[in-house]
Amino acid sequence: MNHMIDLITPLQLAFPEAVGNATLAHYLFVSAAMFVMGLVGFMTRRNMIVMFLCTELMFQGAGLALIAFGRHHLGADGQTFVIFVLCVAAAEAAMALALVVLLFRHRETLSSQAWKELNG
Amino acid sequence: MESIINPLVLYLVCALGALALALALPRRNDKLAIVGGVVLAITLGLAALGLTSAAKSSGQDTPNLFFYIFAIIALGSSARVITHPRPVYSALYFILSIIASAGLYVLLSAEFMAFALVIIYAGAILITYLFVIMLATQQPTEASKQILDETDAVAREPILASAIGFVMLAVLTSAMFNGLSDLRAPKGMDTAQDSVLVQLPRKVDRILHRAGVINDDERVARADDGTALLDIANRTIVVENEDLGTTRVLEPDQWPDTLTAGNLDRLGYNLMHDHPMTIEIAGVILLMAMLGATVLARKHIELEDELKAAQARKLGPSLTLPPRRKSASQGGDA
Amino acid sequence: MITSLTSILEPVLSSTAMLAPDAHGHAAHTEIGSGPSWILLIVGLPLLASIISGLAAALGVKSKQPAWTTVIACFIAFLFTVSMYISYDGTPYTVKAFDWIQVHTDSHGSLIANFSFYIDTLSIYWMLFVTGLATLIALYASEYMSHDVGLGYCRFFAAFGLFVFSMACLVMGDNFLMLYLGWEGVGLCSYLLIGYFYKKPEAVAAAKKAFIVNRIGDLGLALGVYLTFVHFGTLEYAKLFSDPKLLSYVEYASVGNFSAIPATAQWIPLLLMVGAFGKSAQFPLYVWLPDAMEGPTPVSALIHAATMVTAGVYLIARTYPLFIASEHALPIVAWIGTITALLAATIGMAQFDIKRIMAYSTVSQLGYMFAGLGVLTPTGGVYHVLTHAFFKALLFLCCGAVMHGFAGQLDLRKLSGLRQVKGWGIVTIGMLVGCINLAGVPFTAGYFSKDTILAEAFVTPGYELLGWILIFTAGLTAYYTFRVFFRVFMGPVEYHPGDEAHDHDHDNDAHGEQHHHDAGQNGDHHSDHFHPHAPGWAINTVLATLTIASLAASGLYIVGGSSDKHTKHYAETMVMSSTAAFSSPYSEHAFHAAHDSHDDDAHAPDDHGSDHAAPAAGVGPRGTIEHAQTVPLFGGDPHKMMYYISGVVGVIGIALAWFLHLFGRTEAATCKMDPIARLFGPIPKWAEHKWYVDEIYWAVIVTPLRIFSHVLHWFDKLVIDGIVNLFGILPRVGAWIVRPSQSGVLQGYAVSMAGGVAILLLVVFVLIAQGGLS
Repeated sequence: MNHMIDLITPLQLAFPEAVGNATLAHYLFVSAAMFVMGLVGFMTRRNMIVMFLCTELMFQGAGLALIAFGRHHLGADGQTFVIFVLCVAAAEAAMALALVVLLFRHRETLSSQAWKELNG
Repeated sequence: MESIINPLVLYLVCALGALALALALPRRNDKLAIVGGVVLAITLGLAALGLTSAAKSSGQDTPNLFFYIFAIIALGSSARVITHPRPVYSALYFILSIIASAGLYVLLSAEFMAFALVIIYAGAILITYLFVIMLATQQPTEASKQILDETDAVAREPILASAIGFVMLAVLTSAMFNGLSDLRAPKGMDTAQDSVLVQLPRKVDRILHRAGVINDDERVARADDGTALLDIANRTIVVENEDLGTTRVLEPDQWPDTLTAGNLDRLGYNLMHDHPMTIEIAGVILLMAMLGATVLARKHIELEDELKAAQARKLGPSLTLPPRRKSASQGGDA
Repeated sequence: MITSLTSILEPVLSSTAMLAPDAHGHAAHTEIGSGPSWILLIVGLPLLASIISGLAAALGVKSKQPAWTTVIACFIAFLFTVSMYISYDGTPYTVKAFDWIQVHTDSHGSLIANFSFYIDTLSIYWMLFVTGLATLIALYASEYMSHDVGLGYCRFFAAFGLFVFSMACLVMGDNFLMLYLGWEGVGLCSYLLIGYFYKKPEAVAAAKKAFIVNRIGDLGLALGVYLTFVHFGTLEYAKLFSDPKLLSYVEYASVGNFSAIPATAQWIPLLLMVGAFGKSAQFPLYVWLPDAMEGPTPVSALIHAATMVTAGVYLIARTYPLFIASEHALPIVAWIGTITALLAATIGMAQFDIKRIMAYSTVSQLGYMFAGLGVLTPTGGVYHVLTHAFFKALLFLCCGAVMHGFAGQLDLRKLSGLRQVKGWGIVTIGMLVGCINLAGVPFTAGYFSKDTILAEAFVTPGYELLGWILIFTAGLTAYYTFRVFFRVFMGPVEYHPGDEAHDHDHDNDAHGEQHHHDAGQNGDHHSDHFHPHAPGWAINTVLATLTIASLAASGLYIVGGSSDKHTKHYAETMVMSSTAAFSSPYSEHAFHAAHDSHDDDAHAPDDHGSDHAAPAAGVGPRGTIEHAQTVPLFGGDPHKMMYYISGVVGVIGIALAWFLHLFGRTEAATCKMDPIARLFGPIPKWAEHKWYVDEIYWAVIVTPLRIFSHVLHWFDKLVIDGIVNLFGILPRVGAWIVRPSQSGVLQGYAVSMAGGVAILLLVVFVLIAQGGLS
């Protein structure tokens, strides 16, 4: 447990070594888990707003993976791409929410099942 | 290559996670959700233990405690996002998840992105979501016994979806733990970070002036391609006097402490120097999203022809429009 | 089996060379001159008439315009035929309308079949009576069909014109494909006209029967044409009949060396023969012709008595060298013809429908023509075609006049003594002239043409039995012919009108009810509301013309001989100048033997006789010339003796008919024959039922085929359709299974997509783990 004591040193000390002993795989596991949760949420939830939140969750998973890889390679590209991910997420949110408002006006409900007849 | 974590533990974690999610997803019987929450907690603990023991067994130090804290908060709140029956709470949990992710970003030395994430996501995007949720929620009628709409209250195909999701997770993580090396040791990190200073001679000039290491008429010597003549490894700097045309070398002990490149320097340089075209494209995407959102969300108001004509007359010069139809001619005198 | 058929065919060589008399080399024979293009009008005018009649139908013309168009077109065509005959200088030529089929191959010669016409004496001979009779019968039909003026009238004459066009193509075509085109064309017109009263089930069935039975024959013809092209590499008459290969075959045949002739060449006539049997209603395939009398009577007269049914005779005459070059072809033709003649005559004796009697008589007479071709006298066969065309057309038209006048009545038990009814004189005379021709009363055309065939049967070795059967049949013919005449036209006057609907296509016919009239002893028992209407001017004119023509046809046996071609009379002259040219060596020798003793024949050429000296000394395939010369009949020249024998037989037949059917007859329905017929037991009944041939065909061929078809039908329906439908159903079932997945619910699609990605990842991961993707 002496490790614990080392790790509870102040953040200033911790930051340069913050990555510490966590491997890349740890971060990737977290990112994959977030992504999968987003996916499961998208598949199960019927509320269109929650479905879009789940897509944002998947974006988060991807962003975390990008940052971890960038750190792994000691480059800035990963972070740069997260910026673009944020851009796309913002654009997607704008469009998606506009769509949700539009659809809600037509059906007075947020359920995605209200639009079943679009199956062609 | 040896796998870092015992695959059986990994698969058990995935299976338990699937079970937990399947139980926790919203349904009419909310007692199961509590069971699901418990199982999820057990799963996350088991995952942490598995990772720790894996790290220990391979002779490494115990992973950072902050990692575990942020990771568990992020995953737990993510689970809550998808399991909470009320969209507002989902959004709030999503903000929590983002903040925890920002913590992980900090652990990964991406401080700028950590704050940017909090500002953009938590501050901007999620607020929009909250607005829309408030805009587009039906008023619960008094007659309806249940407060929640079935849309929110009951998940669709939770078991199948969870199974599929966690099969995916198992496969992905198997590949991850199957031979990806440790993150690179942070020893050379400063050197690597500071190497960007060579590309930023005017920033170096400014820092050296502030530190008082060089005189007003001196500056860092430039190479032919405009880069600063810095020796990052030996920490020496070549300084030149433009007026006199003389040069001198600053010794390592004269290297000011403030002469380091931060995360922001590197990110900004990378963004502007390596991905200018992507920025343009991102700009176009955002513009189009704005236009699209405007077009989609505006209300279509059907105007009568007479009304349009009247509006046109008010706006434009007072012309007497020729009557197009019978009804138009009747309304034209009015 | 015929054991002593000998074919010493030296004359054929010289006669075949007549195709191009001015050339002697084989290669030069293929060059043939072309004639004036107005000859195309002979073919074109009937087609034009047909088209105009068709347009009249489309325009709804309700007058006799189609009839006059057709009569005029046929008449002009006849005039052109006559002028073609007059201008013919003895050299065959072709007239080309346009290129039709020209397929050039490297390996097997070229298939050239132009739409062109081959003019020689045989085609002129045929076209003369085809266009002549067509003109007369179109005129007759203009009155006969007048009850149907309107759409049906137009339809009738459109098919009529098309028939004349097709017949002209058949007869004048210069290649086998033109012949085949015409052959199918006349078959089609026959079908259309038999089925003219298409609301009558019998007419429709008869039309179908005619068409289907003809298909069997046409298959043989098609195969024969095909084999001809395969073997000789050409379908054009001019090239074929001057082909060195064919000439050498004829030469081999002339010395009996049939083993030197390839089997392919020997098969050609056997196949062509099947086509001829079908079209000319010979023994196995004759059953369609009696039923074909369901058509209007002018059609029966023109198509089913005078012209179309002689197409088989024309085919064999035209391709006579091919038949000579086959060992078994001509004997088969002879015996089939004889069997048909006897069989049809026995059936004809027992029928009561006069039109049907004439139909069986036609079949029987066609049998005579085939027998004539088979016993090496194409002249006899072809001459009989001409005489028969006139007198049988006359007989049919007389029957048609009776039918027209008596509301469709054709039963000879219900008609009697028409001779005495006012306005029926010309019909009676016409009928009498037709009957004496058919019965072979001496010095009529039918007498001469039949005698030629009978005499040749006796002079050609091995055919004596055949000759006696034909003589017996001639007696039967005389009997049944005059049975009709004596019962319908002689005796006490009595008539019952028929069911008008029997021949008339009126659904709401006022005459549809049956009229029964009790017969009186002293005649003139018209019913209160039935008056037979006597034939009008058109019918009478035609009957009178045909009566004269039938009588005059005998003159063709007397005049028209040509010393150039060593022929004795017109028909022989025409035949001997064509590809059918052939004179039996036996006949020549018998002729010479007879005339050497009498020494009164100026036409017997010495050089011709010396030509036969060489084969006479040798030995033929199945006998010697010496043997051939020892075939006297009752101690005399068969030709001379036959004049007496057939005359006597004919008179006996007539006398018998008179005794049994006229002498002492007091009413229409009964006669002296009735008790005598009972003595024969069931045989007359069998004959009346056509010896149950139709029933036998039905049982042996039609029913098994029908059962087999049903089996195949159900096989097709269950197995084949089942398999096909299965392939149609499978996608449906698949769609039915996966359709629920297209629910329109977004999450469903997301689950499918994510599941797919998961499976894909799993597969990739497993492959990587096994090193499969290294």
